[in-house]
Amino acid sequence: MASETPPVAPRRCTKCRVQEATLDSRSQAVCGDCFAKHVSTKCIKQIATLGKETRSPLGPSTGTGPPPTARRGYLLGLSLGVSSTVLVDLLNDNVDFQLSRGRAAPFDLVAVHVDASPLTTNTQQTTTTAAEETLESYRARYPRFTFLCIPLTSALTLPTIDWSTLPALDKTQPADVQLQSLFAALPSTTARADMQRILTRHVLIAAARAHDCSTLLLGHSTTALAELTLAEAAKGRGFALPWQINDGAYAVVDYPPSSPSPSPSTSTTPTTILIHHPLRDLLRKELATYASHLTTPPLTDLIPPTADLSNAPVVSHKDLTIEEVMLRYFADVEENYPSVVANVARTTGKLVRIGAEARCGVCSMPLDEQGDERWRGELGDPVLREGVAGRLCYGCERSTRG
Amino acid sequence: MAPALCAICKTERALIKRPKNHAKLCKGCFITIFEDEVHHTIASSQLFFPGEKVAIGASGGKDSTVLASVLKTLNERHGYGLDLVLLSIDEGIKGYRDDSLETVKRNAAQYDMPLKIVGYDELYGWTMDQVVETIGKKGNCTYCGVFRRQALDRGAKMLGIKHVVTGHNADDVAETILMNLLRGDLSRLSRSTSIVTGDNKSDVKRSKPLKYSYEKEIVLYAHHKKLDYFSTECIYSPEAFRGSARALIKQLERVRPSAILDLVRSGEDMARLVPIEASSSSDCRGKSDALPVGLDDGGGGCGSQNGRSPGGEMAVMEKQLRENEAAEGLEIDIAKVALGDRAAEREKPRELAVRSSNKASNSKPITRQVLGNCKRCGYMSSQEICQACTLLEGLNKNRPQIQI
Repeated sequence: MASETPPVAPRRCTKCRVQEATLDSRSQAVCGDCFAKHVSTKCIKQIATLGKETRSPLGPSTGTGPPPTARRGYLLGLSLGVSSTVLVDLLNDNVDFQLSRGRAAPFDLVAVHVDASPLTTNTQQTTTTAAEETLESYRARYPRFTFLCIPLTSALTLPTIDWSTLPALDKTQPADVQLQSLFAALPSTTARADMQRILTRHVLIAAARAHDCSTLLLGHSTTALAELTLAEAAKGRGFALPWQINDGAYAVVDYPPSSPSPSPSTSTTPTTILIHHPLRDLLRKELATYASHLTTPPLTDLIPPTADLSNAPVVSHKDLTIEEVMLRYFADVEENYPSVVANVARTTGKLVRIGAEARCGVCSMPLDEQGDERWRGELGDPVLREGVAGRLCYGCERSTRG
Repeated sequence: MAPALCAICKTERALIKRPKNHAKLCKGCFITIFEDEVHHTIASSQLFFPGEKVAIGASGGKDSTVLASVLKTLNERHGYGLDLVLLSIDEGIKGYRDDSLETVKRNAAQYDMPLKIVGYDELYGWTMDQVVETIGKKGNCTYCGVFRRQALDRGAKMLGIKHVVTGHNADDVAETILMNLLRGDLSRLSRSTSIVTGDNKSDVKRSKPLKYSYEKEIVLYAHHKKLDYFSTECIYSPEAFRGSARALIKQLERVRPSAILDLVRSGEDMARLVPIEASSSSDCRGKSDALPVGLDDGGGGCGSQNGRSPGGEMAVMEKQLRENEAAEGLEIDIAKVALGDRAAEREKPRELAVRSSNKASNSKPITRQVLGNCKRCGYMSSQEICQACTLLEGLNKNRPQIQI
């Protein structure tokens, strides 16, 4: 009845009902503490699952005795973006918590940043890169973790890539020049972004093996996984999606330097590593809120500023990548329909992994012989190329030859 | 500078940049290669048998007009021995169908094919205009799609035809794949990608010979062959998910033209990865039966370009998912108490709703629904009452009592 608006009472947090609600969590008004708890719970739940998985099989102990004392090594892919930085922070909190309870540190963490600057600048002259400088502030804030910077050029010597399927490298040139000409030979901007992502993954896996880490942690949020799902599908990589999106064991395949066929690794380093995405249940915007509002000093101080690609105007579609299209699309969907975003990643997680025998020489994902055969039949696509036929997956053929 | 020559014949001037791969071709070579590719698809998937009677689902739009034209050409050129018939559906939308049906009638004369027009009013007692009058502009595409899907099959049955071909193109298929990924609908994803839908259990087989043809190439083909088609889009609103997926496809195509075909490839491969065992945990969250009905494998696709704004449908799903998330905590308790009567009770009606036609299958939940027949109209359905009859029931309830 009354036409006057009632006095605005401070909104109470819908979770604890004590503190004032200052943030919005999936359309619920919550306080900062409850929001931070939500973020950390979602992550720690995943870390706990991983902890169980890495407990017995790798350790020397048998039976149901106390957890083995064998070192549990995790390697974290650190892009220096919001998500992976939040992951470092949450893991650090987790170690603090465990230590405060008088327990041993649950894991050793090596965070690796794969520096892509050799793609754009010649790094011969400079001794330290911008990324290396940024890592210094990470080291200062999280002294118990190891932070490393590995240039993308290190991918050029990895045995996990079948180099005979790619244009020959000019080994007389410096590594960054080799890398740049490899990328210059790719047919499109999307193909270059695709290759960069694949090489980065190779470098991270190699680093995990080198540092004797059983597990690779990736900081993908729910939103990032949804983007990855649709982007990979749009690049013809649907078959390999369960390997990309799901958590679990991944067998590393080495190629001997001259022979084109894959053979089991003869080295003593582990050939199977676990790949996990502990932030898979959190939205990108939730991680951004956590980074800027709920950490002191804010994590955003650490993170080097980058251009926000999600709503910058499109200058040329030729220079845009499929990933960027998805980034823009999901920034929009996440705003209004966060559960739809979460559902994409969850649904893809239900697809089964099949075929792990033959692998693609570039991305290491399983080859889909059945799909290749049918596709050639139905489309009469004469994409067979001498020498590499049947050794690259559909997506890598597309990215390397157009 | 000399004009560029056609990449195939190397004699004619190249006038066309193929949308699919940007190859520069002359008009003649483009038309030939377009037809050859469709022929290849038909031959390799063995779509037809000699002497088969085939109904072409004809809307008067570019896709079905090109399909009719190409099939007529290929039928003569390669001696398929097909008996081709045009089959049109009159949804009863004034100002949309009236004109496009005229186009179909002209096509029938131009291609010398018999034509059968089936109206929604005679099939369902409702025209689309009346449906919109009753339920408003939101969500009516669901009705239209469900009704049309059955209408084509029923029309084909009337003519004694067991095979309907539709003009769904690569863009439509890619769009459906994206849409089903966005909706998290794996069972539809696995069904919608195949070139032939409807198995030996159903009376009418459906196929999409233009499944690998780009929409832009269809437009070019229609243009260069000077085909007579009707180009107004449906005046009612498109579905939100489809509109959203369509906008995304167009952007992807601009960034990398192969993206459409690559999506189709991904969709086909992912269809083989869908677990046969049901995502049983999601079943009890009511995912499959809680979603808005009728967004089937491209059948409902009134692909309108202006569907950029996500409408009610996405919001409905968002709400549904959120409720599921909220309920998750409660459900875990029940599941842990397990096998208690309450849990059993809760699941039973769900099971019935999803696949009641075959009770034996309840013990082994399967994502791909079991086909049965609708109790009311006898049309094939995975549910007790088919979608059309369910929708009709709702409509008839709300029908204004005063009618002259």
